[in-house]
Amino acid sequence: MSDMPYPDALRVDAFDKVRGVQRYAADNARPGLAHAVLATATIARGTVRRIDAAAARAVPGVRLVLTHEELNGLKPPGFLMGGGYGFQSIQPITSPHIAYRGQPIALVVADNLEAAAEGARLIRADYAAEPHQVTLDAPEADIVAQADSPLPKPMFADVKAGEADAAYAAAAIRIEADFRHPPQHQNPIEMLSTVAEWRDGHLTVHEGTQNAEAIRHGLARQLGIEPERITVLSPSAGGGFGQKNSLQAHTVLAAEAARRLERPVKLVVTRAQIFHDSSFRPASRHRIRLGADTAGRMVALIHETDSQTSRHDLFPTQYTELSARLYGIAGFRGRERLVRTDVQTPGYMRAPYEHPAAFAVECCVDELAYRLGRDPVALRLANDTTADPITGQPYSSRYLAECLRRGAARFGWDRRSMEPGSMRAEDGSLMGWGVAIGAYKAATAAAIARLRLSADGAVTFSVGVHEMGQGIRTAIFAVLVRRLGVEPGRITLEIGSTGTTPQHLTAGSWGTATAIPAAEEVCDALLRALETLPSRLSLAERLRAAGRPYLEVEVSRRAPGQPEAVMGRLTSGLPAAMGPAYPGYVSFSHVAHFVEVRVEPSTRRIRVPRVVSVADCGRVISPRTAASQLRGGVIWGIGAALREVSEVDVRYGGFLNADLAEYVLPVHADIGTIDVEFVDAPDPRLNAAGVKGLGEVSMVGVAPAIANAVHHATGRRLRALPIRVEDLL
Amino acid sequence: MRPFTYARAGDEAAAIRAVSSGGRGTRFLAGGTTLYDLMKLGAEAPERLVDISALPGLASFDTAGPRELVFGAGARMSDVAADSRLVAEYPALSESLWKAASQQLRNMASLGGNLLQRTRCAYFRGGEPFACNKRTPGSGCAAREGIDRGHAVLGGSEACIATYPGDWAVALVAFDAVVDVAGPNGARTIPLQALHREPGTTPEVETSLARDEMILRIRVPATPLGRASTYHKIRDRESYAFALASAAVALWMEGDVVREARIALGGLATRPWRAQEAEAGLVGRPLTLEAARAAGEAALRNARPGHHNAFRIELGTRTVAEALLIAQRRA
Ligand SMILES: Cc1cc2nc3c(=O)[nH]c(=O)nc-3n(C[C@H](O)[C@H](O)[C@H](O)COP(=O)(O)OP(=O)(O)OC[C@H]3O[C@@H](n4cnc5c(N)ncnc54)[C@H](O)[C@@H]3O)c2cc1C
Ligand code: SF4
Repeated sequence: MSDMPYPDALRVDAFDKVRGVQRYAADNARPGLAHAVLATATIARGTVRRIDAAAARAVPGVRLVLTHEELNGLKPPGFLMGGGYGFQSIQPITSPHIAYRGQPIALVVADNLEAAAEGARLIRADYAAEPHQVTLDAPEADIVAQADSPLPKPMFADVKAGEADAAYAAAAIRIEADFRHPPQHQNPIEMLSTVAEWRDGHLTVHEGTQNAEAIRHGLARQLGIEPERITVLSPSAGGGFGQKNSLQAHTVLAAEAARRLERPVKLVVTRAQIFHDSSFRPASRHRIRLGADTAGRMVALIHETDSQTSRHDLFPTQYTELSARLYGIAGFRGRERLVRTDVQTPGYMRAPYEHPAAFAVECCVDELAYRLGRDPVALRLANDTTADPITGQPYSSRYLAECLRRGAARFGWDRRSMEPGSMRAEDGSLMGWGVAIGAYKAATAAAIARLRLSADGAVTFSVGVHEMGQGIRTAIFAVLVRRLGVEPGRITLEIGSTGTTPQHLTAGSWGTATAIPAAEEVCDALLRALETLPSRLSLAERLRAAGRPYLEVEVSRRAPGQPEAVMGRLTSGLPAAMGPAYPGYVSFSHVAHFVEVRVEPSTRRIRVPRVVSVADCGRVISPRTAASQLRGGVIWGIGAALREVSEVDVRYGGFLNADLAEYVLPVHADIGTIDVEFVDAPDPRLNAAGVKGLGEVSMVGVAPAIANAVHHATGRRLRALPIRVEDLL
Repeated sequence: MRPFTYARAGDEAAAIRAVSSGGRGTRFLAGGTTLYDLMKLGAEAPERLVDISALPGLASFDTAGPRELVFGAGARMSDVAADSRLVAEYPALSESLWKAASQQLRNMASLGGNLLQRTRCAYFRGGEPFACNKRTPGSGCAAREGIDRGHAVLGGSEACIATYPGDWAVALVAFDAVVDVAGPNGARTIPLQALHREPGTTPEVETSLARDEMILRIRVPATPLGRASTYHKIRDRESYAFALASAAVALWMEGDVVREARIALGGLATRPWRAQEAEAGLVGRPLTLEAARAAGEAALRNARPGHHNAFRIELGTRTVAEALLIAQRRA
């Protein structure tokens, strides 16, 4: 069924969202609810010598104060990348050890929010501080070569293809440059928030998440109870972007407080606390060496990275998995190092590796174009490939050249003059046009899908996927409507909450490629089951003719080549996704971004009035939400390139600009026209629906396209993000 | 959140009486967009709030008078910004409000409260563990050796380099505005330029108002300089951000020649900053690109950079120059 494009359809939850009908965990305001507030550490590393909670306990309305003295029995969640469930391995408030500024040291629970906040303010801690270190400029002892680390291989081995160093040394044209990326924070509008309640020994957790199953199994481990005694409800999360991809540090605290108080507890992590109490995009730096021959064939690429991790976990990186694959370069060598710093463990913020890696590589490719005097689009097209440089396998589909050609035409690229500073806008500002490409692995997760048709025509569908605003509900509706001919009003989706099908982590752009093929298969199974009955009747009529109140079918689906055993991981809340390398082929989504910047001649403000982006994500299931994803990715790219930085004062550790006024995200006035287009060619080799992923690839390449446009406008190569006014003065 | 009492005042005299007799912990409350924010951050901890936001009369404003423009302290930023006479006759005043904060904040915030907003210095707002003389006198200044990208290059002291963040006061200073205030001992009028203090050795004292003095209104002398004026604000994004550098500029041109000029700087100094020397240098001469640039340089001549904010001296210079050219086009 991948041969027919999908028509445009409304976002199914838009009307509810606009009216504020959609409920999130923190909207829960049931009677009897107790409110919890965290108190956090003010030192960057050390130990709590003494904690004084007397004043907090004395605040009228305060019912419970939990410090490490009370909670030392709670078990750690285990680190997501180490067989566990948490975004980091340590559980705050279970020991006196302080690993980073902002780490929770106490939880205060009260009858109302005001009393809890006042109690948290009154918590006094006496610390023994130890020296700390929060930047990439760390002593050797804090730098870990990933290839020599205990991280699993070959997943985290250095990426190599051919003889990069020799090819680079012999190359006629060599480009070498260093790039810097600052730490950044996701800041979904729905803050980390949990309502936890116990009833007859059963724990129910309301929390917006991308990974309900990890919360369930992780809490079971932490609390020492059976996962069957826990339900996690997350029908809709208000944005995740990788921040909500695992068990958060606050969730077990809410659950434990609710257990002790025997009443439901709500815990909302404040915006300032979120900067310190959840994962973020780590600081990284990248050294690129790019070699080419005089004809413009890229022959060698060496990509060496240093990336921030915490002292307690190795948050691994895969920057070079992407940089090795943007072009058909025969000689590639990657080397990735991790730098231990005294922060919470960083994590997967949208396009975690691909965006910084593409920034570094694609700026160098632009530089190469200028060294060669070659049009940047033409140079990219000339270096495209059909086979994966790392494995030698073919791509299941690769429409990168198509993205570049369509984008160039749509943008009017042929009107560009090559010379930097040669184009002027009507208002006299310098105009720069830049291009860059991006790619992102097309991963797939194992899934179980269940479909029930009732004799009255109602359809209930469940599969492991979370709605975080990306539009998966709308995409699933599109498939069910097309396959079953059912009215949208008769469809109920059960996704994001445990207790139905396993709610596997929704991340890494595998949501659609996981849920949609499973939805198609389960529809097929239902149709097959009804095949024996006369086909002129509607599905529900056939069911009634057979005298059955309902019919339920279930399919279980693995990624191509995934072993049977992966279903065990799926049902125990562990990551069960694979890609981009499948047996016989490699799968990626691709994108090309074309950006116009204007630089004011006087105060040198940079504006982005126009972006054209063309993506290859396989078959587009929901045109409306797909376009929104792509536009959103471009906006993230604009933010990442020109606005966002989590400021660090090395003396204090932690992050300084921890609120939405001072952490500068783009606002509407920063965004001009974003014109998006899809190749919309199915990838039937990856799955019958022909879908790849879209959310992450959308932002890959935006930042270098902007930096390249700034170069085109001004002649300046700026290699540290964000690019701000001071860089061009 | 620390407990506090809240009362709504019946009229101005009652409000002043309540604040005066309430003692040290008693404060006026207008839109609350500064005060509540700082209370949540623990930077302010009033015990009693006297709400003046509904006082009849305080919210009115009149931009049509022949001699002066009068703005009640309770007028909303958004209402005043949208006043068509202000937009046409005193664009700098309107723009300084339009370019401040967000629409939601402007709908809440009052002109009087706006004048008294406090610095955005992250160390001040963050509280523990940061040293901050403004928050805890004598504790030191974390910004001096810290992330001072947004801190003042003019008017700072050993004790404090916090930028005065507001926009409206900067535009007012350019127009020689005055504020009428009233306290338990009667009323007085203060030039806006004398309302805010430089930090000196007492950065915790930010204005020349007594705690129980209430701003009643702001008055701006009517002037032919209004039309050829602008508030030019450069920030890290196009909206909803404080100024990296801003300039309120007004010109009275006779042909090509400047008869009178007003220049005030925002985002660069510890208080709204009038640049009279730069103004004087323009008078009696044609406003060329070079003259505009020279005025910018004169305005920033005494600027002192810290670690990360030196660029704002050049940015401020260019902002002034650009603002003069924008104003000239309106002449
Ligand atoms: C996120 C954010 C962004 C912002 N961005 C900008 C910006 O870009 N530019 C800008 O200029 N401003 C900006 N602001 C500041 C905003 O304009 C002020 O918060 C607002 O103007 C204050 O007015 P208010 O009526 O809410 O004052 P309140 O918060 O009610 O009061 C502020 C202070 O003034 C005192 N006060 C109020 N009225 C009187 C009176 N009549 N007499 C005596 N004392 C009084 C109060 O006691 C209090 O100390 C921003 C604020 C926020 C929160
Ligand atoms: S600049 Fe002023 S407000 Fe900021 S830390 Fe220093 S003393 Fe405090």
